[in-house]
Amino acid sequence: MAAFINILLGGVFHAAVLFLVAAGLQIVFGVQKIVNLACGSFYALGAYFGVTTVTWALKAGLPPFLFLPVLIASGVVLAVIGPVIERLLRTVYDRDESFQLLLTFALVLMFQDIMRYFWGANPQQLGNLVMVYGKVGAGGVDLPVYNVLVIAGSIAIALILGGFLQRTRYGRILRATAENRAMTEALGVDVRRINVVVFTLGTVLGTVGGAFVVPTSAASLDMAVELVVEAFAVVVIGGLGSMRGALAGALVVGLMRAAAIALYAELELLSIYLVVILVLILRPSGLFGKPAE
Amino acid sequence: MNGPGEPTKRTEDGRLLRQSADSGTVMIETRGVSKHYGPFVALADITITLKAGEMVSIVGPNGAGKTTLVNVLTGLLRTTTGQVLFKGHDIAGIGPVRLARLGMARSFQLVHIFPELTVEETIAVAEIARAGKAGRLWASVRGDDAIHARVREVAAIFGLDTKLDRPARVLSQGDKKLLDIASAFALAPEVILLDEPTSGISTGDKHGIMKTLVEAARTANVKAIILVEHDMDLVAEYSDRIIALQEGRILADLPPTQFFADPAIVAAVVGMKPVRHA
Amino acid sequence: MTPRLTTLVIVGLVALVGSAPLWATPYHITLMIPAMAYGIALLGLNLLFGYAGLLSFGHAMFVGIGAYTTAVFTSKLGIRSFELVLVASAVAAALFAIPIGLLTVRYVRIFFGMLTLAFGMLFHSFLFKFYHLTGGDSGMRVVRPTLLGQDTQELDKIAFLTGPFFLYVLALLVILGLVMLRIVHSPFGLHLKALRENARKAEYLGVTVRRFRLAAFVISAIYCSIGGVILAVPTGIADPELAYWTHSGNLIFMTLLGGFTNFFGPILGAFSFILLQDQLMSATQYWRFFLGVVLALIVILFPRGLMGILESLMARFSRGRS
Repeated sequence: MAAFINILLGGVFHAAVLFLVAAGLQIVFGVQKIVNLACGSFYALGAYFGVTTVTWALKAGLPPFLFLPVLIASGVVLAVIGPVIERLLRTVYDRDESFQLLLTFALVLMFQDIMRYFWGANPQQLGNLVMVYGKVGAGGVDLPVYNVLVIAGSIAIALILGGFLQRTRYGRILRATAENRAMTEALGVDVRRINVVVFTLGTVLGTVGGAFVVPTSAASLDMAVELVVEAFAVVVIGGLGSMRGALAGALVVGLMRAAAIALYAELELLSIYLVVILVLILRPSGLFGKPAE
Repeated sequence: MNGPGEPTKRTEDGRLLRQSADSGTVMIETRGVSKHYGPFVALADITITLKAGEMVSIVGPNGAGKTTLVNVLTGLLRTTTGQVLFKGHDIAGIGPVRLARLGMARSFQLVHIFPELTVEETIAVAEIARAGKAGRLWASVRGDDAIHARVREVAAIFGLDTKLDRPARVLSQGDKKLLDIASAFALAPEVILLDEPTSGISTGDKHGIMKTLVEAARTANVKAIILVEHDMDLVAEYSDRIIALQEGRILADLPPTQFFADPAIVAAVVGMKPVRHA
Repeated sequence: MTPRLTTLVIVGLVALVGSAPLWATPYHITLMIPAMAYGIALLGLNLLFGYAGLLSFGHAMFVGIGAYTTAVFTSKLGIRSFELVLVASAVAAALFAIPIGLLTVRYVRIFFGMLTLAFGMLFHSFLFKFYHLTGGDSGMRVVRPTLLGQDTQELDKIAFLTGPFFLYVLALLVILGLVMLRIVHSPFGLHLKALRENARKAEYLGVTVRRFRLAAFVISAIYCSIGGVILAVPTGIADPELAYWTHSGNLIFMTLLGGFTNFFGPILGAFSFILLQDQLMSATQYWRFFLGVVLALIVILFPRGLMGILESLMARFSRGRS
C-alpha cells in the first residue's frame, strides 16, 4: 500500500511539472494556433538556468532554504526570450501550419546548441538541495517536502491561470481571441500585443516547469526533445487548446508513467503512447477538446 | 459566356431541359424527411419529388433550412426520420463519393476550386473519377487522349477552353464559378444540384451564367437540375417548379406562374431578404 | 525549362554522380550514399507532403523499419541477399503503414502531424526499451549484404561502399525516381493533388479521399524503409535514433530545403543537407544551431526551397534574354 502511494505521489509530481509545460503549449495553440515544438526547449532552458542561478546565489551567501524563490524567479526572468521568439514566429502567422511547426522545429535545433554552448554536454544538477526542506511521511510513505511545494505551486498556478482566463477582462479578451481572431480584431483589440503576451506566458510556464524539476533530476540536453513528446501526449489526451484538458492529460500521463516504471519499466513511454492512440481512436478530439474537423 | 440579352429559349413544350424517353420518371424523392439538431428542428416532414426533365428551384429566407436540405439531398447528412431516395437508392449519409458514382453532382455556393490546379487538371479530376481511372498508378494523364478530349469538350461548353493552362487561382470570379460548375458537369451526372451558382457574381453577369448552365445541361444530357437561389428574377426564369421553405417546412411547391401569383407566398419568401433589384 | 532540357540535365547529373568513383575522394563518395538513401526516402515522403498535403512527423519510424529489417535479415536470420532485404523491408513497412495509416489519415494538418509523431515514438520506445529483442540503445548489427547474389567479402569496406554498393544505390535511386515520376503524373497523382487543394470539393468530384491518402501513406512508408535499408549498410548498425522524432523532423527539413513543390526538390534537398551537415560538422561542434538557422531562413524567406530559388533565377534569366 505504501509503495503504491509512493508511486502515486511520484506520478502526481511529474504531472504537476508536465501540466505547466502543457499549459504553455495549450495557451499558445489556443490563441496563436501554433503548435510549439520548442516548448520542451523552454523547459530545458529553465532547468539549466535554474541550476546556474541557484548555484550562484548560494555562493553569494543565500541561505539554502531560500533557494525555491530564487529558482522560481530564475524561471520568470527567462520571460525575456518570449517576445524575441514571438517576433520570429510573427513572420509565419498567416502561413500554412506545416511551416509554423517547422519554424518551431528550427528553434529546437538552435536551442539545443545554445544550451550546449553555455552549459556543455554534461548534465547539470543542484546536488542534494531538495532535502533542505526535509521529508514528510508515515508508515513507509515517504515524500520530500519539496515535491509537496511543487505540487502546491502547480495547483496555485493552475488556479491563478484559470481565474485569470475566466474572471478578468484581459482573460476574456484572450479567450475571445482564441475563439474568433478576426472578430476580436474588428472590435479594436490589439491582437499583435496579445500574441506577445500569450507567447511570453507560454514561455514562462515552460521555463518555470523546468526550474521546478531541476532540484530532483539533472538538467540535460535530451530533456528538451524528450519532454516534447510527453507534452504532446498530454495535449492529445486532454484535447488541443483546452486548459482543463492539460490538467487531466498531465495527470493521466504522469500517473501512467509512474505506474509503468514501477510495474514494468520497459513500458514507460509505450504505455503513454498507447493511451494517446487509444484516445485518438475513441475520442478523437481529446477528453476536453473541440472536434478537430 | 453569353451576355444578358434575350432569355434562354425553352424547348417547344416550354421546358428548360431536353426531354427524353424517361422524362417524368422520379429521380429524387424524399419521404417525410426531418432533421433535428437536439431540440432544434431544421427540417420537418419534407416530401418532395424531382422528375427527369425538370428544373426545380428551392427558395426560402435565410435559416429556412435550405442548406440542411441541400446536405440531405446530396447524401451528406443522415436524416432524423424519413427517407431520401435517388433513383430508388436510399442515399441518406452515403457521402459525396458514392453520390457521384450514382450520378449526382453538385456545385457550391462559395467558390470551391483547387487553387493550384489548372483548368485542364481540375476538369480532368472529375473525368478520371467518372471513367473509373483513379486507381491507375501506372498510367499517364498527359498521354491519355480520351481524358484530353473530354476535358476540352467540357471546357468548351463553359467557354474555358482558351484558359486550360491557367491555374484556377488566377481566374476571374465568374470563371472560378464556372470552373466549379464545369467540373461537376464533367462527372456526366444525371442530376445536378447548383447551390447559388450566381452568388458573388454581378447582376449583369448572372443571366449569362444561368444561360450557359442551362445550355450545358442540354448538351450534356443532364436529366434534372435542382437550383438553390436567392435571386427571384433568376428563379422565375429558370424553374419549372419552385419549392419554398419556411422554418424547415414546405410552404409551397408550385409552378412559377402560380407561385408568383400568390402574394402571401412571395412575401414570406422574399420578405425577410430584400431582393436587390425589386 | 522544357521537358527535353530537364531530361538532359537529369541524365547529365546521374552520369556525373555515377562517374564519381573516377573523380571524387572515397570520403565524398561514401557521403553520397546517405544522400541517395535520403533522396529515395524523401521522394516517398514528398508524395505524402508535397502532393497529398499531409505533414508527417513520424516517418523516421519507417526508416527505422528498413534499417532493423536489414539487421534482422543479415545478422539474425543470415539472409544476406540485398534484393530480398529490400523486398522484405518494403513488405514490413507496408504491414506497419496500413493499420497506422488507417488510423491517421482520418486527420489532417496539425492533428495528422501529432498522431504520426505519437506512432513514431511508440515504435522508437519499443526499439529503445525492449533490449533483449532489439539491442536497445546500442542497436542491432548489420552484416554486409550480397548484391545480385555476388559476395564481396574480398573487398575491404571502403572498396565495397565506393564501388559496387555506390553504383547499386544510384541505380535504385534512378529506378525508384522514375517509378515515382510515373506515379505523380498518373490519374492517381492528380487526384492526390486535388484532395490536397480542397478535400471537400474533391470528394464531390468522386475522389476517394481517405483511400488515396492511405495509398500515399503506404507508398511513402515503403520509400522511407528502402532509404533506411541503404542507410544501415555503411554504418553497419540499425540504431534506434533512426526512428526518433527529431529524425522525422530532419526528413521534413531536407524536403523543404530542396523544395517540396518540385518533383526533384527532395533529392536536391537530401544532397544539400548531407553536404551542409558535413561542412558544418567539420567547422563547429555547434552545427545543429546553424542547421536550425538555415531551416528558419528557408521557412521564412524561401518556402519553396533551393528549387524555388533556382526556378525564380531561371525565370529572371529567360526574361532578361527575351
